[in-house]
Amino acid sequence: MEIFIQQTINAISLGGTYALLALGLAIVFSIMGMINFAHGELMTITGYTLMYCGLAGFPFLVAAPVAIGVAILAAVIMERVAFRPVRNSSGATMLVTSFAVAVILQTLFQNLISTRSQAVILPDMLAQSIHFGSLSIGINQILSISITLVVLVALNWFLRRTILGMAMRAAAEDFSVTRLMGVRANGVIAGAFAISGALAGVAGVLWVAQRASVDPLMGFIPVLKAFIAAILGGLGSLTGAVAGGFALGFIEIYLAAYLPDHIQPYREALALGMVILLLLLRPNGLVPAFNVGREKV
Amino acid sequence: MLRKLTITACLTAAFALSQVPATVSAQELVIGTATGQTGGLAPYDGPAMQGFQIAVDEINAAGGIGGKYKIKLISKDTRSDAAQTSIAAQELIDAGISVLVTPSDADPSFAAAALATDAKIPAFSPAASSPTLPLMGGDYMFANFPGDNVQATVSAEWAHKQGLKNAYILYSPDTQYTTLPLYFSDVFKKLGGNVAGEGTYTIGQQDFSAEVTKIKSMNPPVDVVMTAAYEPDFPAFIRQLRAAGVTAQVIGSDGIDSPTTFSLGQAAEGLVFSTAGHATPGSALEGFNKKFAAKYGKETDTIFSAIGYDLMKVIEAGVMAAGSTEPQAIRDAVADLENIKGVTSEITYKGTTGMPVRQVTLIRVKEGERELVGQPSPTADLVPAPRMQ
Repeated sequence: MEIFIQQTINAISLGGTYALLALGLAIVFSIMGMINFAHGELMTITGYTLMYCGLAGFPFLVAAPVAIGVAILAAVIMERVAFRPVRNSSGATMLVTSFAVAVILQTLFQNLISTRSQAVILPDMLAQSIHFGSLSIGINQILSISITLVVLVALNWFLRRTILGMAMRAAAEDFSVTRLMGVRANGVIAGAFAISGALAGVAGVLWVAQRASVDPLMGFIPVLKAFIAAILGGLGSLTGAVAGGFALGFIEIYLAAYLPDHIQPYREALALGMVILLLLLRPNGLVPAFNVGREKV
Repeated sequence: MLRKLTITACLTAAFALSQVPATVSAQELVIGTATGQTGGLAPYDGPAMQGFQIAVDEINAAGGIGGKYKIKLISKDTRSDAAQTSIAAQELIDAGISVLVTPSDADPSFAAAALATDAKIPAFSPAASSPTLPLMGGDYMFANFPGDNVQATVSAEWAHKQGLKNAYILYSPDTQYTTLPLYFSDVFKKLGGNVAGEGTYTIGQQDFSAEVTKIKSMNPPVDVVMTAAYEPDFPAFIRQLRAAGVTAQVIGSDGIDSPTTFSLGQAAEGLVFSTAGHATPGSALEGFNKKFAAKYGKETDTIFSAIGYDLMKVIEAGVMAAGSTEPQAIRDAVADLENIKGVTSEITYKGTTGMPVRQVTLIRVKEGERELVGQPSPTADLVPAPRMQ
């Protein structure tokens, strides 16, 4: 039983990180109808900022907000430079553009920083844990779970209570009508990218705090997981992205925990198999978006 | 008629032969390198080729191999991709190379090995440590690193000597190298130890909480954890393991001979791993490290640069012994080399299938620095046979 509780905490923690990542993809998708595959590179940028802040001697509590700020800035610049010129193009064009941005950034990291993994200096505290009886919860996990909660609540408040938030929700439902109401498209889209940058930044800090190193290609796997989670949850649906993230986290952890040793090597395949099964049962995802398949922008 | 045919054949052959030296000068050894200078293998292939270059420059400055053969390098980046490796290898072979250098991992090297075998050109991987590489790669494929099975034997014997009894291994079936702990498991059991569990992970997995919870719940408690995971998986794993309060001895292998390992602070304290050498004062390796710092303006932070240097020394010895730059002759000469003085170790290929006999070094992380545990030789009959997959 204790092991089950421990594994469940593990699953919540991992699922929370996936949820933040998937949310970052979903918020841009809900408005522009584009999956931004360069989302992972925003995490890499966060990681490198943490690394340089560490080298400059900044404490982690200062470095983390700076890194998130840099991710937001990078996301807004990305939108302005790469995605605005192709905003009215086909979905395929935008998708390829996002891949191009990802590859260009990876190559820049390799050429300008290093092809090698760089160590990130982290406080020792992050590698410790709090014990409740036989349960032990890593500081990292506690941070991950609580930060996920705070971010979800804050985002919910932002989308429901602020003008920009409401404009973004409206744009996700029907962009043309929203524009007729006098909402500026550029502002809404830049806002969506800024939020996705913030989410990538927060997830990036949590991700790097776990691995203690950053390398040019580190964004690929998280964006892949986020993509799976976003599809599983229902593309374009924010609640769905969160649900998908947690579902993926639970599937991965429980399979790792309870599959017999000799089936473990097939774990990844089984996990993806379960995702496909869920999608067969609910083709539009766990919590489908309100307007699946409608024209965006 | 027959005579006419013979003459034609001779003329054709002579013409064909005269064509070859037109592109490759007889006094030149052309080495093609198809290595991962970008991508996942860059942390290994990058430094390896830097060290390789130092040896090439030294040899050329001294007038070439044996004062006779100047070395010409043609380098290609494989982006750490297996398909790109075979494309690069084919291009190099078409360019008329005598020796091929493949990436530092067994899996992409397999792609190049088949091409090298067809072209009868000797191929070398700087740091691939899977003993299956030369076996499956064929007669023309050579490795240049202590084999996984040898490293695992040294680690298991060391663990046994420390009185450690109950092991847990964590491996990944994704590549040959990451299955190294399975060799450890074999040897550890042979020595009378118990292997409580064999966990797996996916390369790039990052979250090890499920595995760590399993290790923690083992009864009786695990006193040694062995894994061949490397960056970014290894730092994530050991941090999570220590965070959960597991204090078992952790043993790793050469993939974590990297600066990150030494910057992990408390989490990596006491970690022991096997690698290919250690710069004791006055050693050849220390001398190499000075040369490296002089050339590149920074200290080398990994053993792989010295490994690259040693690889060029092996090729040099092969060409010297062959007395020619003819690929087949070099291949045969290398297969017969004995006690070549590298900066990391003496290297012997004679009597092996292409996996050299080399010293294994055990290093402990102590306060963020390297501490030499020992350079023991494995007990020969404990070394497991290569695991063919």
